[in-house]
Amino acid sequence: MLCQIVAEALGLKYEDVSIAQPDTHAVPNSGPTVASRTVMVVGKLVQSAAVGIEKTLTASGMLPDSYTPEEFRGSCRAYVAKHGIFRSLAQYEQPGDIVWDEEKYRGSAYAAFAWAVYVAEVTADLTTYSVSVDDFVALQEIGKVLHPVLAKGQITGGVAQGIGFALYEKVIWEQGRMQNGQMTNYIMPTSADLPPIRVYFEELGNVHGAYGAKGIGELPMDGPAPAIVNAIEDALNVSFNSIPLLPEDIFAALSESATPEIVAPTARGGE
Amino acid sequence: MSQAPLDRAKSEITFTVNEKLETVHVYAMERLLDVLRHELGLTGTKEGCGEGECGSCSVLIDGMLVNSCLIPALQANDTKIVTIEGLAADGRLQILQQAFLVCGGAQCGICTPGMILASLHLLEKKPQPTLEEIREGLSGNLCRCTGYIQIFEAVADAARRGAST
Repeated sequence: MLCQIVAEALGLKYEDVSIAQPDTHAVPNSGPTVASRTVMVVGKLVQSAAVGIEKTLTASGMLPDSYTPEEFRGSCRAYVAKHGIFRSLAQYEQPGDIVWDEEKYRGSAYAAFAWAVYVAEVTADLTTYSVSVDDFVALQEIGKVLHPVLAKGQITGGVAQGIGFALYEKVIWEQGRMQNGQMTNYIMPTSADLPPIRVYFEELGNVHGAYGAKGIGELPMDGPAPAIVNAIEDALNVSFNSIPLLPEDIFAALSESATPEIVAPTARGGE
Repeated sequence: MSQAPLDRAKSEITFTVNEKLETVHVYAMERLLDVLRHELGLTGTKEGCGEGECGSCSVLIDGMLVNSCLIPALQANDTKIVTIEGLAADGRLQILQQAFLVCGGAQCGICTPGMILASLHLLEKKPQPTLEEIREGLSGNLCRCTGYIQIFEAVADAARRGAST
């Protein structure tokens, strides 16, 4: 997306923009690790830096106000030949109404938040006590979708992890170590376990992000598990207060519940 | 110190990798995965779990899809192996690889080489797979990033474009 943003800002082709391999030795610190800010914060900086390149060239008379990609390339070459190096820097400026305390790491790290609605349809099998997610809809408001394929991929990937979070992935932690840190005993969803994940976007814009984009990565990992648990509660009329809900967890909750009509004959045993 | 005693424990193994005849001297129980990566420099094959669960290290041996972390080197003697490096001849992506790119079938990339070989194997058996057949055919290859949906789309797209021909 960062190359896309630069290409858009400078009127170049996407293929004509390449991104340097990030190296912490060479790049500045981008602030708190609060994620889901790359497109919003870095993207906006990249956009500003790209505009800075154009402004420098036009101000020095090396580039007309409207130009072709070839003219842009020629102008950059001429600038480098004359000055040796061509750098454009952009510095993040905290929006006036957002307060983040770098010392105490308190406050709001974001200028804008994404929003979402998640809907899960589940089937609970009262013989095996396993739950399957049959259908899943994610509606995301992310300001502006910059790259539809990648944006959709971020959402479906997050939802898939959320389904694992809700139904499969039980970390067993003992004596400071994860006891089931193998793919044989820590189970995550395979391609055969997932429902259709239907993704829809709303785009309400965001003045702080590149071309109106907001962060996208984290939210789809936060909402799906609660949606799935709510759907299971709706189906079984039993409350749960932890995840994941493995068959044994569902069996235990149903066995203790005061609604015997829900508990299947197999759970009641040899009556 | 001479390496002779250790070297004597090694076996000479000859196989064809991506249509090129290779001879290596390795311990018989070395993992094929390590032989490909360390002896032949074919680092496109990735190690995920190292216990045959995730499919990241998938390669084709005589047309069979296998986890190369579970194959002792000696078992590969006299076979024909295809790794991800064997797919893009002259740097040109195959239809299937192009479909992964266009459909968003890859994110972090660790599962991708194995996923593509599993997809290729599926398309060779079933040139026009149904969605259920794609799900089943790729269920031995775990992906943490994509949620699989766009991988299914990539395989279906490649099938439509005749990737298996």
